Amino acid sequence: MDLVRHLGYFLVVAEERHFGNAAARLGMAQPPLSQRIKRLEEELGVRLFERSSRRVALTEAGRLLVPEAREIVARAERIRDLMADMARGAAAVVRAGVPADLGAPVLAALIAGFRDRRPDVRLSLTEMGTAAQVAALLEGRLDVGLLRHPVAGHGLACGPVLVRYPGVLLAEDDELTAWAAVHLGDLAGRDLVMFPRDAEPGLYDDTLAACRRGGFVPAEVIHTDRAEFALGLVLSGTAVAFGVPAEVPGVVWRPLAGKPLAWRCSPAWRGEPGPCVRDFTDVAVQVLKDDAGMVDEAMPPAPRVAPRPATGFLA
Amino acid sequence: MNPGVNAVERVFRSAGVTGWLHAVDIDDGREVGMRADEPVVLASVFKLPLLLELHRQAERGLLDLTERVRVPASGRTGGGTGLSAMLDDATLSLRDLAYLMMAVSDNTAADVLLARVGREAVNTLLDGLGLTATRVTQSCREMLASLRVDAGVADQSDVNQACADPEVVARLSALDPAVANRSTPREMTRLLAMIWRDEAAGAASCAAIRRLMALQVWPHRLASGFPFDDVAVSGKTGTLPTLRNEVGVVEYPDGGRYAVAVFTRSYGTAQNQPRADAAIGLAARTVIDQLRTHI
Repeated sequence: MDLVRHLGYFLVVAEERHFGNAAARLGMAQPPLSQRIKRLEEELGVRLFERSSRRVALTEAGRLLVPEAREIVARAERIRDLMADMARGAAAVVRAGVPADLGAPVLAALIAGFRDRRPDVRLSLTEMGTAAQVAALLEGRLDVGLLRHPVAGHGLACGPVLVRYPGVLLAEDDELTAWAAVHLGDLAGRDLVMFPRDAEPGLYDDTLAACRRGGFVPAEVIHTDRAEFALGLVLSGTAVAFGVPAEVPGVVWRPLAGKPLAWRCSPAWRGEPGPCVRDFTDVAVQVLKDDAGMVDEAMPPAPRVAPRPATGFLA
Repeated sequence: MNPGVNAVERVFRSAGVTGWLHAVDIDDGREVGMRADEPVVLASVFKLPLLLELHRQAERGLLDLTERVRVPASGRTGGGTGLSAMLDDATLSLRDLAYLMMAVSDNTAADVLLARVGREAVNTLLDGLGLTATRVTQSCREMLASLRVDAGVADQSDVNQACADPEVVARLSALDPAVANRSTPREMTRLLAMIWRDEAAGAASCAAIRRLMALQVWPHRLASGFPFDDVAVSGKTGTLPTLRNEVGVVEYPDGGRYAVAVFTRSYGTAQNQPRADAAIGLAARTVIDQLRTHI
């Protein structure tokens, strides 16, 4: 028998205390309703109602069953609603991948923003590098990600591209802090601390290529995905790092002249984006602009080499 | 006081020079200066207003820049570059003479062109541009002759040796802005800004002048302060005993462009002072760094 449905009949009779009224409310005839209550009593092996000619009263077993039945019926309704959402293309849970260095305030704003937009949907965030996100999106383990460019993600679709221009973090006693803006070539002779290549292969290669173009070939590249470790190396004067200003005494941030590094990022998903993925994308783009200082991708200035007769080739 | 100035003064002092400087953002007019309105000796920087007058006369049809001029081997103005250093008769167009004058500061080419346009024409042009503290009074030949006379040597080849003596340097009229070709740092950046904004002459003439200034070969002064592939540096140097100048424009990849004029006199009389040359570039970068941070 369909227990949930029978419990639903039971609850209506329990509320109406009258088989005729209950049947009317359920839009059915009274005999089949009586029949179904009897079958429920047989199934459970107890009597649920004391029946008299005038009125119907709950037995002790019936009173005990009411709250239990209410809970089961409510849960069953919820399951149906959730599955109906799913059938309409909306997921009750959005699984999103985000980069490790998003930062606590940005993460909090992202979660709060999504909760405001979709209070009915749970946002399940996983900290992941771009390479891992691409694999997870393609395998269906993530619904949406925030990818760093450049990325080879065949089969993925991307939302708006946002960009941030990192500066350089220096120890405060570094002589370069005398400049208001530092050129990449000024960094020559210094070591660099960077995120590991495995996590962000495209951005890693792009960044080091830009450094070489700018005349900065670090003698050593130290890898870490821990911001604290990287800042420690900067603080001690062991290495410089690229990024956003750090609120750490002893560490000084300077912009890079000419914006030679551009860190781009965009939401990405596989196939057609569902309503929740679209909502996440909207919220993420807004939060990255408002809280992470990112801007819409402008046309990047074409890298140029200004010719100089004495130092150019063939001089 | 301007926060950039102390840092600039440190740059000059540590290189053993006294400096005069003016820098301006060509597009928004913000500026940094140090002794920017004091008269300074131009030395070969005077070749820039001469080049401008050459183009202005071509615009008026007074001369044809492609006209070929014979420059005989004899009677050339002294100097270590270009036609001054070459041994045989040459025939070049006026505009190729201008190239040699700007790219390698060829004194012979400059004197041929100055004789052609006339120094009074150059001064009239400067008056018209409002650059009244800038005067061209001497040719390269006259400048070099004054060195020989003031140094008290019979032969031009002895001038270098004589000018290693501080007492000789002290009496060189070529270093006196009351006598020699002169300007102020501020007037030079005004001239550069007019050239970069196509206001000093027609747009094609200004573009031709900018091209020649970008073709200057020297890497040791203004350009040395910007050892970056994406920064363009155009300039014109000027050099005499203890005097090292360069005026030019520095252009950043984000479109920022800055006219800068740096004039120095070294305490020492040695000709080879790479730190003094480099101080021109470092001082320029220091003030441009200040202009770019919106002080």
